[in-house]
Amino acid sequence: MLDRLLKFLMVAVALSFTSASLAASSPTDDVRTSVDAILVILQNGELDVQQKRADISKIITKRFDFRAMSQRTLATNWKKTSDEEKKQFTALFSQLIESSYVGRIEAYTNEKVEYPGEKVKGKKAVVETLILSSSADIPVNYKLYQKGDQWLVYDVIIEGISLISNYRSSYQEIMKDEGFDGLLNKMQAKIDELSSAAS
Amino acid sequence: MSMTRKILPVILLCIAPLALAAPPESRRDFIENIGEVPEEQQQAAPEQQQVAPPVLEDMETQGTDEQAEPWMEDDDLSFLDDDEEILEVYDPWETYNRGMFWFNDKAYFWVMKPVARGWRWLAPEPLRLGVRNFFSNLRAPIRFINAALQGKFRVAGDEITRFAVNSTLGIGGLYDPAKAHWDIEMQIEDTGQTLAHYGVGPGPYLVLPFLGPSNVRDGIGLLPDIYYSLVPQVFENRYYWIAISTDIINFLSIDKDTYEGIKRDALDPYLFLRDAYSQYRLNLILH
Repeated sequence: MLDRLLKFLMVAVALSFTSASLAASSPTDDVRTSVDAILVILQNGELDVQQKRADISKIITKRFDFRAMSQRTLATNWKKTSDEEKKQFTALFSQLIESSYVGRIEAYTNEKVEYPGEKVKGKKAVVETLILSSSADIPVNYKLYQKGDQWLVYDVIIEGISLISNYRSSYQEIMKDEGFDGLLNKMQAKIDELSSAAS
Repeated sequence: MSMTRKILPVILLCIAPLALAAPPESRRDFIENIGEVPEEQQQAAPEQQQVAPPVLEDMETQGTDEQAEPWMEDDDLSFLDDDEEILEVYDPWETYNRGMFWFNDKAYFWVMKPVARGWRWLAPEPLRLGVRNFFSNLRAPIRFINAALQGKFRVAGDEITRFAVNSTLGIGGLYDPAKAHWDIEMQIEDTGQTLAHYGVGPGPYLVLPFLGPSNVRDGIGLLPDIYYSLVPQVFENRYYWIAISTDIINFLSIDKDTYEGIKRDALDPYLFLRDAYSQYRLNLILH
């Protein structure tokens, strides 16, 4: 019980830190706050999967700039799409990114995360993290940019593989064959598939 | 499919140094672009006064309109793009490759993974990690050669030390005291990287039976990597194939179902793996 209360407090504190307008937090602080909060939720045995996903989603939405990620994924095609299409794409894409990121993190629920360093240049930063598990150390790096007093993630690089570059080349290939609508349909179908598998 | 993770542990960042080496004009772009981001200006106003005073006028005139609709905020994030290029994978044999991808997918789900799960259930993790260390240690000499050929003499030295320490104190390589006690980590060095170091391009993308994503250069590189590892010296004839199968199955038992994750999440797993492999190799080659 006490354990549960403690975890709840940790989440509450973590959340309040992300939203409070703390002046000039470092990019590592921002990443650490979010990652720690996610790990606390994942390790909480009392929550069911749906609840966990919902809680994690809140944290990720605060820290990840899905709009920037969408724009960078579509690259030159971004300018060619209408505002409505942009909105639609961003909504679908954020769900896919979230699912993929959480899926990757989930496998390492009980491991420790280290923060070996950060590099800041102007409004951009790279925060290095290392997931230490018994079988391997997985480097996961976050690229962030500063928006107001917050650092927002616009790419995640796992073992040298950038999530965004990866999506960008796949999506461009799909768009070449099936057009933008075809891509949106595929994304929607994938999301339906993921949510039916989860429930 | 196992290749992307097969050689997993230590990878350096390629992103950070590139980000630091951003060309000067992109920085200038960025400062100019700030002027077009009303919401951001409001939050960062005190700092803005030093950086670019003129934009404050814009802020006062148009700053408040768009707050109700965050979707419509400024799109110009081009300053984030300056540190990367779009990786285009040359894949003229896509039809064959997709066929082999399909074959590997079936081999993975119908044969290799069930066996690996059985082994995972049967053997405790420390034993499986020991088996992995053992095979990895047998490949230390060819890693040493490749590191040396690329002029990475510190890495080459590390590999010699690791091989000496782990073969003896580590009981034939079952344990990894070099890492555990002296913090000397394994680096991934293979002939594909050596060829790239001497200017050989990747050539067409190539999906290998059972081994998964590769390309012509790395596929050719596999031959010396396999031949000059100590596995054929230690295991002869049919024991060799038993050893190789054990290595692969054991690896899959340790892997946290990476391929399942990709299958689940990617719109087109073939494209996803193809691009991931190319990025992964490029990153290794640059370091």
